[in-house]
Amino acid sequence: MSDITLRDDTTPEPAPATEPAPGLLPGELRPHPSPLRYVVIAVVLSAITAAEVSLYYLQGDIPDALIITLLLAFAIMKFGIVASWYMHLRTDRPIFANFFVLGICSAILLYLVVLTSLQIFS
Amino acid sequence: MSTATETHTPVPVRTPVLLRRPKKTTGFWSWFTTVDHKKIGILYACTALIFFVVGGLEALLIRLQLAQPNGNVLTASQYNQLFTMHGTTMVFLLGMPLSVAFANYLVPLMIGARDVAFPRLNAFGYFGFVLGGMFLYSSFLLGGAPNGGWFGYTPLTSTPISLGALPGRGPDFWTIGLIIVGIASTTGAINIIVTALNMRAPGMTLMRIPVFVWMMLVTAFLTLFALPIITVALIMVFFDRNFGTAFFLPTKGGDPLLYQHLFWLFGHPEVYILILPGMGVVSEVLPVFSRKPLFGYPVVVFSGIAIGFLGWGVWAHHMFTTGLGPVAISAFSLSTMLIAIPTGVKIFNWLATVYKGAVRLTTAMYFALGFIAMFTIGGLSGVSLAIVPADTQQHDSYFVVAHFHYVLFGGLVFGLFSGFYYWYPKVFGRMLNERLGKLNFWTMLVGFNLTFFPMHLLGIYGMPRRTYRYPSGFGWDTLNMIATIGGFLIAVSVLIFIVNAIVSRRRGAIAGPDPWDGRTIEWSIPSPPPEYNFVEIPEIQARDDYWHYKYTEDDDGMLVPLPSGGADNVHNAAVTRLAAAPTHPIHMPSPSFYPLLVAVALPILGYAAVFHSKWYAFVLLPIGALTLAFGVYAWAVEPATADEETH
Amino acid sequence: MATIEQAPPPSPPVPPGPPEPAGHPPAGTGTSNTKLAIWLFLSSDCLFFGAFISAYLLYRSRHQTGPTPKDVYSIPFTSVSSFVLLMSSLTMVLALAAIQRGDLRRLRIWLLATALLGSVFIGGQIFEFTEFARKGLSLDTNLFSSTFFVLTGFHGAHVTIGIIWLISLWGLATQGRLRQGDAEKVEVAGLYWHFVDVVWIVIFTVVYLIPAPK
Repeated sequence: MSDITLRDDTTPEPAPATEPAPGLLPGELRPHPSPLRYVVIAVVLSAITAAEVSLYYLQGDIPDALIITLLLAFAIMKFGIVASWYMHLRTDRPIFANFFVLGICSAILLYLVVLTSLQIFS
Repeated sequence: MSTATETHTPVPVRTPVLLRRPKKTTGFWSWFTTVDHKKIGILYACTALIFFVVGGLEALLIRLQLAQPNGNVLTASQYNQLFTMHGTTMVFLLGMPLSVAFANYLVPLMIGARDVAFPRLNAFGYFGFVLGGMFLYSSFLLGGAPNGGWFGYTPLTSTPISLGALPGRGPDFWTIGLIIVGIASTTGAINIIVTALNMRAPGMTLMRIPVFVWMMLVTAFLTLFALPIITVALIMVFFDRNFGTAFFLPTKGGDPLLYQHLFWLFGHPEVYILILPGMGVVSEVLPVFSRKPLFGYPVVVFSGIAIGFLGWGVWAHHMFTTGLGPVAISAFSLSTMLIAIPTGVKIFNWLATVYKGAVRLTTAMYFALGFIAMFTIGGLSGVSLAIVPADTQQHDSYFVVAHFHYVLFGGLVFGLFSGFYYWYPKVFGRMLNERLGKLNFWTMLVGFNLTFFPMHLLGIYGMPRRTYRYPSGFGWDTLNMIATIGGFLIAVSVLIFIVNAIVSRRRGAIAGPDPWDGRTIEWSIPSPPPEYNFVEIPEIQARDDYWHYKYTEDDDGMLVPLPSGGADNVHNAAVTRLAAAPTHPIHMPSPSFYPLLVAVALPILGYAAVFHSKWYAFVLLPIGALTLAFGVYAWAVEPATADEETH
Repeated sequence: MATIEQAPPPSPPVPPGPPEPAGHPPAGTGTSNTKLAIWLFLSSDCLFFGAFISAYLLYRSRHQTGPTPKDVYSIPFTSVSSFVLLMSSLTMVLALAAIQRGDLRRLRIWLLATALLGSVFIGGQIFEFTEFARKGLSLDTNLFSSTFFVLTGFHGAHVTIGIIWLISLWGLATQGRLRQGDAEKVEVAGLYWHFVDVVWIVIFTVVYLIPAPK
């Protein structure tokens, strides 16, 4: 029986380059959007916000369940747009998004279990 | 980070000199300004050991009180303060910082880095911990120590001071003190994660880093995600006590169970924060003293990660008796049993590592084997507690006390003591005395089992936790006396260790760079390591890189020392590899006052919060805020490495 | 951060262009330490705000004495201040784009604009709090008020720290000590700022807009 591991002679996987391509900060894979694109995104965000606020005033006219679903969907959209465009998760290395998603998902999951067991949904 | 200028003309940017930059890297005062991860690691370890002694003395007082029925050593109020501070100390001021001590010292050495990613943040983390601990202990002089248990259950702790469910300001000190320590731990966790991910030497891929580094990485993630949860709970308790809110006061609609959920959402990952470092140490010690590689490295690593994830899904097993409902109880019971699987896998991996190895029974190996045995007992009683009917019977009894001491003392303390004996030669360049070490081990093993094994029986016989006195006639008397005797034996054992550590510092045998024929690269550099750790950053070729530098194997799988020197010359070969004097200047981070300054601001603000209704709070608040602001600004504009010409 | 393989040498004058890469590459993640650290902190902060939001959801309609959410909320007002905070994220990314182009004048303008919008938001929050107090809702009135004030208060504290951070950067920029190569400093402050913004996106929806169960 072999008592020691064989020397790992396979070529070590190449370390990811720290040197970003020209014009990029470390950790970025692609360039940031142009300022014009940023403004367009802001317009989209404003439109969603307007839709959210109008939904609030539709309470009573359409069922609460629908309002809540739509409001949550809008919030997730805004959250996603800001995180991916303004926080550059689209163009950065996925490690940042992985950490962030880990934090968000554990928060949602854990607190949902807590709230369920405290019978908030019944 | 980068500081390229925008114009061709060099703009001389003088950093405004706020405090003269400390230069000394030796001598007494250098310890207050050091940013060297090795010195900070030593500081962490020494401070944590002091808190270990203090927490141990508290435990001895508790054991004296309980040695006989109707004990008269302590009053009920003193007992409450002591058992609260014993638990708080051992978890927050011994367990976490001592693990961080090992991580601080070893993670950079093991991954081939010159320092951690954020050296000044590292110093801040240490000072935050020690000042937070002193803040907690200052409560003894300022109106009574925390007295609501280390778990601080509400509404007992959260009832306003005017209603006086608990006398004194203890819970206020407890909440604020733990927030301070928590801030320090969070910065430490971020530092360890970034260091382990970003500072590795070329070729040191994630599947080549030592298991200890892996376990500290998982621990750091658990710390990072667990501490914000308890911070919120502590803030709410503080508001309830002081600002008239009722988050956890049932009389005004609050729900004490929310506190228990938040606390145990933190508290259970905390258990793994405390045990994973011990597992990491053992995973380094066993292969070296068995002269075999760790059996199933990837399995051990993934088991550790699995424990890290599953550790988040079991918190409600601390709350089985609160009426969670059958669905929740079944689910958490199952998940608790599930977590025994990766833990068991690790235990079998360790056993397989030792199996058929050329075992050398050093003290470090004794403690590592003791860890496996004791931790297994603790794990088994844990599985039995996962069974809800048994848990309902044993909840809040001494059975639980026995269980978690087997896990935390039998696991964490045995594991880290193994680490002391293993790495002391690297840190101080001298060996710990092996005879005293063996004595240390046997007294601790016997004392530990004398103390905590009877508690299983006491719990089954119905003795409740957290009671300062018990009547005679329940069959508890003898067992309690045995436990007390065992407690004093542990104290003797710790004393032996301290004597050993102090004496060996001066008189121990010279260790040399590689006294154990080690496997990982920290043994390839001199003991103690130079300030810059590695003259040349090593190129890592394999897992257990240093071992493969020293040995190869022939066609029959037998170990053959590499020709760079022959068997007895292996060390020389290694030393010439990496211990030559540096031929080029190595820029190391310079010492700084500001981490200490920022850390000092925290307890000042803490006192302002605790005494917010007194006039002097309005003196402390601006002092603390200004100290904080000044410290942060000065830190931000101070370059990490001082300019050459200022030297 | 300042070990030899990580930190660039103290800035030699270089022509405008991309930041100089650091020394030889470590086997790291190919990212900078600072950015990794701020993301770790932000993911940790998710659990911090998550706990407060959960407490709010659990408590908002429980044990009601005194004013309820419906009695005190002014949705038009809060919508405007939420919009202001949302737009501050736009000015923040414009500041980053400016420093990456080397346009230091616009950098200063956008940094200041972001801090200003943040201050408007905080001013709105202070106004809202005093307005609530006038309507008889203070921290200790009921569980709704306690959770509301603590949640939005800690969010406001985060915004305030962000404002101080931005103004400090602006101060550095006016002194000429924030140059094109320092884009990452703006990026990191921006990440914190956007995080505070996305947390408010959640708070605005969950706390203000979603109707409480009857």
